[in-house]
Amino acid sequence: MSLRVPALRLAILIAALVAWEVGARASNPLLYVPPSAVVPALGRLLALESYPDLPASLLLTLREIAIAYALAIAAGVAVGAALGLNRLLGRAFGPIVAALYAVPAVVWYPSLMLFFGLDAASKIAFGFLLGFFPITLAVLAGIRQVNPHMLTVARAFGARPAAVFAKVMIPAMLFTLVGGLRTGLALTVVGVVVGEILGAKAGMGTLINHAYGLFRTADYVALVCVTLVLIVGSDAVASVVERRARRWTE
Amino acid sequence: MDRVAVADRGRVLALQAVTLLVLLGLWEGGARAGWVDPLFVPAPSAVVGAFGRVGRDALAGLGDTLAKTAVAYVLSVVLGVAGGLALGSVRLLREVLNPFVLALYGMPKILVLPWIVLLLGFGTTPAIVYGTIHGVFPILVLVAGGVRDVDRTLVSVARAFGARPWQLYWKVVLPAIVPTVLAGMRLGIVFCLLGVLIVEMFAGIRGMGHVLNALANGFQAPELFAATALVSAASIGIVLGLDALNDRLARWRS
Repeated sequence: MSLRVPALRLAILIAALVAWEVGARASNPLLYVPPSAVVPALGRLLALESYPDLPASLLLTLREIAIAYALAIAAGVAVGAALGLNRLLGRAFGPIVAALYAVPAVVWYPSLMLFFGLDAASKIAFGFLLGFFPITLAVLAGIRQVNPHMLTVARAFGARPAAVFAKVMIPAMLFTLVGGLRTGLALTVVGVVVGEILGAKAGMGTLINHAYGLFRTADYVALVCVTLVLIVGSDAVASVVERRARRWTE
Repeated sequence: MDRVAVADRGRVLALQAVTLLVLLGLWEGGARAGWVDPLFVPAPSAVVGAFGRVGRDALAGLGDTLAKTAVAYVLSVVLGVAGGLALGSVRLLREVLNPFVLALYGMPKILVLPWIVLLLGFGTTPAIVYGTIHGVFPILVLVAGGVRDVDRTLVSVARAFGARPWQLYWKVVLPAIVPTVLAGMRLGIVFCLLGVLIVEMFAGIRGMGHVLNALANGFQAPELFAATALVSAASIGIVLGLDALNDRLARWRS
């Protein structure tokens, strides 16, 4: 039983690859690229033959993600704390933040592109916007689940508001907070890549668009693989942090 | 108690109204005084005026987008619920397929967008397909979890009383997972709309995404803001409507 599940998973994976290979060889090579053609394309890409500016593009995309994420954390924690700590602010603006979260964020992108131009700034702004909402809502939810008795006790022992926030609230809501930070990172990464694909002058999304526009489908799949490694890698780092935080809370 | 609640509600509304007015005033004043370039950030009054000019195109685009979203949504719900029922009831299927489903759910779908457009061309079909890809996974994952967690006692009792498989599903499992399906539907609609809008922006010839993109490329900021407000209001309205429906059903069930 314990071996059957992994064996079946492996079988499905192999069957999918074989079907992809056979199906792609029988079809239009501009649209379907077999795995056997992706591997050499990936080799050429990593050897910097097909796209010499791959390292620069990767670095630019990473930098956009880092800036957008830092801004999203700063703004998300600040706004979430303000709405969570002040009851009136929370009741007045919490529902508004939640309602705005229900809008498919991509509708803001044309305005951001118009305002910030085609360079990195519009991608940073869009990544920030996507990451901001889950972080804000996680901080808000986290503060609401802190046991009020702990706050009363801390205050009774003379803790100042800043100390109460840092020493009582943050540890008590760490679990929710870290979950929101992880979702925020995933959405920030998606926002930056979506922004680059919808319109940019540099970065991984631009390379993907270039390969797609010239029907260099094998290069396109190779670029997608590299971008996927970047995305999965960032989420893996986040999941390690999340697990550590969870252990620390327990 | 009642009077306190009413006073509280009044304060909340007052704060919301004052903030809105102050923000609009600052924005209007800033735009008129030239603090921001009206080419990029038009004054609220200019945006209101633009509703008249862009209203017809934007409403036509919105209708187009919502029609595609509706088709993608129906597909997502049908496929998601069917797949969720299968994954939730057959343990082996669930254990084997779970990592694949989660990987497909978590993978940023933007990466396959160029390929889908390459494959299906411009127009309605890629938008519906891409919207469905976005909407189906959250519903599938939620429903599979809901079916798996259906109270075993209920199932055992139904079986013991000789319920046939179809009766088991129709009378026990389906009623038990209604809240999960509704939660999935609430989550799925935004994803479907998102998918459709992205395709329209990337390779659209019609629809709201295309309208927004064309306005941005034409530097028609007031019209762009007006159209963005319109589509935002529409999606907030849809989600709030689903929420209200959910609440009513929850009250009716209890």
